[in-house]
Amino acid sequence: MNRLLRLAAATALTLGLAASGALAQSKGTIYYLVPTLLDEFQTGSIDAIEKFMGDVGYEVTSLDAQNRSDLQLNQVDDVLNLAPKAVILAAVDFDAIKPGIEKLRAAGIPVMIFDRQITSTPSDFTSVAGTVEIGHIAGDEAIRLLTEKNGSPKGKVLQILGDPGDPYTLDIQKGFEEKVSAHPEITVITQAAMQWEATNAGNIAQDQLLTNPDIDLIFNHAAHLSVAVAAVLEAQGKKPGDIMMMSSNGAPVGLDLIRKGWLNVEVEQPMYAQAAALAMFADKVVNKQEIEAGTYDVIGLTSELTIESWGPNIKIPGAAITADNVDDPKFWGNLQPPTTPVAAVE
Amino acid sequence: MTLADSMPGPGSEPRQERHKALLALLLDNLVWIILLFALACFAIFIPKFFQIGILLNIIEQSTFVGIIAVGLSLTLIAGQMDLSIESVMALAAMTVALTFGTGGAGGGLALQPPWLAFPVSLAMALGVGALIGWLNGTLVVRFEINAFIVTLASYIWGRGLVVALSGGRSVYGLPDALRGVAVTRLLGIPMLAWVLVAVYAAFALMLAKTPFGRHLYMIGGNAIASARAGIPVARNVTLAFVLSGTLAGLAGWLLASRTAGATANPGIGMLFQAFAAVVIGGVSLKGGQGRLSGVFAGVLLLSSIQTAINVMGMPPHYTMMIQGTLVLAAVLLDTAKNGLRRRYL
Repeated sequence: MNRLLRLAAATALTLGLAASGALAQSKGTIYYLVPTLLDEFQTGSIDAIEKFMGDVGYEVTSLDAQNRSDLQLNQVDDVLNLAPKAVILAAVDFDAIKPGIEKLRAAGIPVMIFDRQITSTPSDFTSVAGTVEIGHIAGDEAIRLLTEKNGSPKGKVLQILGDPGDPYTLDIQKGFEEKVSAHPEITVITQAAMQWEATNAGNIAQDQLLTNPDIDLIFNHAAHLSVAVAAVLEAQGKKPGDIMMMSSNGAPVGLDLIRKGWLNVEVEQPMYAQAAALAMFADKVVNKQEIEAGTYDVIGLTSELTIESWGPNIKIPGAAITADNVDDPKFWGNLQPPTTPVAAVE
Repeated sequence: MTLADSMPGPGSEPRQERHKALLALLLDNLVWIILLFALACFAIFIPKFFQIGILLNIIEQSTFVGIIAVGLSLTLIAGQMDLSIESVMALAAMTVALTFGTGGAGGGLALQPPWLAFPVSLAMALGVGALIGWLNGTLVVRFEINAFIVTLASYIWGRGLVVALSGGRSVYGLPDALRGVAVTRLLGIPMLAWVLVAVYAAFALMLAKTPFGRHLYMIGGNAIASARAGIPVARNVTLAFVLSGTLAGLAGWLLASRTAGATANPGIGMLFQAFAAVVIGGVSLKGGQGRLSGVFAGVLLLSSIQTAINVMGMPPHYTMMIQGTLVLAAVLLDTAKNGLRRRYL
């Protein structure tokens, strides 16, 4: 019996020491307010942020806002009482969250903006690829594809947005149309897939291809929409490549469609680098140290940090994924997160 | 005007009967008339709308909402309701995709011979639907919990389970045997459209010609009187929920086939479309009334509007505005119809 008690005491002591050691290593908890779990980019970002923040000593707790801006504001109120070291925010709605950011910062909790840029109020750090810029890359790629097919930048494009109430998709649309509008011979038909539901995207493509059989290119605002569109094209007897297609966000499904020939281009949002940049500057943000503008190497991507009116802003360049580079492990859609730990910027 | 003018003349009674019969026919099929009117307007005013391909698209795209609307109608006719159908459909789609999908979060189960994927996946989807339907029915009947609460809970946990199972990831790469129903045509008509028509024909026949169907109407009209008349109310209501769940499972299987996999939010928003179609189709929310032919017309009407908006290139939120207005109009029309029936029939 005594031996059993001694063993129990020794086990408790060992566990206690291990726990205190773990606590000693941790610099504290950071909350990540993720807009939705119905999007592979967002679910992937949770793993990436946890991994990179772990590299620099922070624990991360993620809260899902279920695509509801009111719920995200409630989460801000809850997190305020938990005294986190910082909050990472990927906003459901760029404007609705503004009072939440102000409340957090007034309470002395630094706010780091991830992926969805907010310029209407100051924050402590922003790491984005830029949704408008993603649209720009998509626009350039569309022009390239149409030129290769038709000899000059002309043709008909079906653009399938996500939910029309989501500012993310509207920003991509803005960037895309800024580029293609420079070419008057390119016609863009725009439709939206309500609630980002893939069946809606398939239905839109099916109807539009009947009334506009001369569509050259379909641009879907997310890779999962491309799956349904490709399925509809297949059901119509089309073969990969008969109609050019591209999408944005760089999800694994998009890369697979490139390998199968259905998709010509997937515009990558550099999720790993965006998450790594947060971790690189986390210490400076938490300790309220000055962040210097300049060029930084973020896991191999040269990125520009500028000091904007809303705070330090690092912009990570997106990339066009094609059949030539689809297997590059740097693309998050290949699900091979970098194994080398990131280091905090001194 | 003389007394003779107001007296029924020879042959006036048969004429009145004919008028009544015509009026009854018009009232019973008002949704079909509205559908034809809408299609005629779209054909006239929307360029390129009037073509066989568009009409086939309307039917094919109605499949999923149409099938879950049948299940919803069964429960409503029985005096209950089933809010879980959309989530059951999504869960069935995700279960099939996770088992057979080769990409994303899919498990990539490969059966030998490959055609076995067809019956096995179908059985899985129907099984998932039937199980949740049975659970809903049992909680409503045995534990006497309000169907609204029970099925709302199923709607919520079902959606959560879809996300939990997939981890928010998409699943894709279904085997050809499973995709066949979405890519095959029979006599030039998509197989999905045939399935939709077959489901409506079978269940309309069941409601009209079998004791189970007639009992559902009686139970929905007055459950206590039905029980006193010896009708097995508990068994029939449970069966209505099981059928509703099974149909949602079928819709999920077809949805997975159509989209070649499943995302974390398949079919989101279809519950409200199904409700709209059922109300427009004349099924009473109070139970005991409604015909599937009306529901079918309601589903086609909603799909026609959606297709018209797609073809016109209008922003999709107009669809929701129009659908909402239509539901309200349908309820008002139903009130007017009942007034006309009381007065003239």
